[in-house]
Amino acid sequence: MDPLSQLSFILWGVPTTLAISILSFLSGLALGIPLAFIRVYMGKPFQVMVDLYEKILRGVPEIVMMLLLYFGVGLALGLKPFDEAFFAVTFALGLRSGANQSQIFRGAIRGVGESQMIAARSLGLPTSQAIIHVMIPQTFIIATPGLGSEYALLIKDSAYAFILGVLETMKRTDILRMTTFDTVFPYFASAFIYILLTFPLATYLDMWGSRKRKELGL
Amino acid sequence: MDFIIEFLPRIFDGFLVTIQVTFFGVIMGLALAIPLAIGDLYGGKIVSTIIKFYVEFFRGSALVAQLFIFYFSIPTLLNIRIDWFTVGLVAFTLNSAAYQKGYIKGAMESVYEDQMTAALSIGLSKVQAIIYVVLPQSLRIVIPAWSNEFCSLAKSTAALLTIGGKDLTAAGRTMASQTWRILESYTFIALIYFLWITTVMKALDILYNKVKIPGLEVSA
Repeated sequence: MDPLSQLSFILWGVPTTLAISILSFLSGLALGIPLAFIRVYMGKPFQVMVDLYEKILRGVPEIVMMLLLYFGVGLALGLKPFDEAFFAVTFALGLRSGANQSQIFRGAIRGVGESQMIAARSLGLPTSQAIIHVMIPQTFIIATPGLGSEYALLIKDSAYAFILGVLETMKRTDILRMTTFDTVFPYFASAFIYILLTFPLATYLDMWGSRKRKELGL
Repeated sequence: MDFIIEFLPRIFDGFLVTIQVTFFGVIMGLALAIPLAIGDLYGGKIVSTIIKFYVEFFRGSALVAQLFIFYFSIPTLLNIRIDWFTVGLVAFTLNSAAYQKGYIKGAMESVYEDQMTAALSIGLSKVQAIIYVVLPQSLRIVIPAWSNEFCSLAKSTAALLTIGGKDLTAAGRTMASQTWRILESYTFIALIYFLWITTVMKALDILYNKVKIPGLEVSA
């Protein structure tokens, strides 16, 4: 195989890599935002629970979570849809990302400051509306650089899906190595593809975040 | 519980591998990250461009790809043989150094200017100022970030399994496939990771509170 068709063989894995990372990022977002606000605005027992969730998900390797969900929950217990490797991987990364994003948003809430909340409450907004209309839009701006690097992390971690045989970029790279016996080109090519997937986005979000923060004086 | 006891020696061996690779990687990574951070800050344009490429390669690409490059590509190119353990030590050190460089540079920048001016004005040379004034303060502030780096490195060592490493995760997989107690095996392994990672992070937290200089914190 010439290098070009080798490259295109690997590139066919990129959509799957993107699907895993985008879906797990979104589930992390759906988990992380509520967890952060629960942690900040609700009582002690909730704080302890959120902290425990974060500690566990940040203290267990992503690979072990994937193996646990796929082989343990999916295949051994037969619980659908975890018997689908793609879903087990996405769910495992989503849970982990939820823990990370909860921390990112908690930092952002602190960055927005208590005064915004007090001002919103004094205008007569109930806490729930103040959170939705005042706090969340601003926390997003502060959280942007953090969210960018979290997304980049998910793209890189999605490569672990190859262990469960999901046909993404890494798995295709490995197949290429086994069929062509070329141990050099495929791996450098895929490392470069991952860099192309992570670098521009993280850099752009970083710049966008700091410009927006300056504009709004956050 | 019998099956766990039966597999304990194997799990213990795997655990030792995981601990060794993690500590080696994080400590040698620090040793490499300090010159990288100094080079980036004071080394001029060419040095800092080279360092940027190094960092972008290790931070931007998937860890599995890096492990494979060290396990398959480099031995082919250099015509040598490297076993998975050495690959683990080298790859995790280089990977961790790329991340730690960023943290240390950030910390050095935060203590840098006034302190540097003050140190130079009392007659220290630039090198002395870095060694005796900037670094001791930076290394204290960097502990929380360092603790996060330890955590993510400890977790990524599980990727050793992809190059046939016999680490804790691999031991768990062997246990799962031989006993068919799949859920229990992986839960047990997850628990070990959780306990040791949380313990070390707690210890670093205590260390940070012991050595920190009041009023001098990174506002990241």
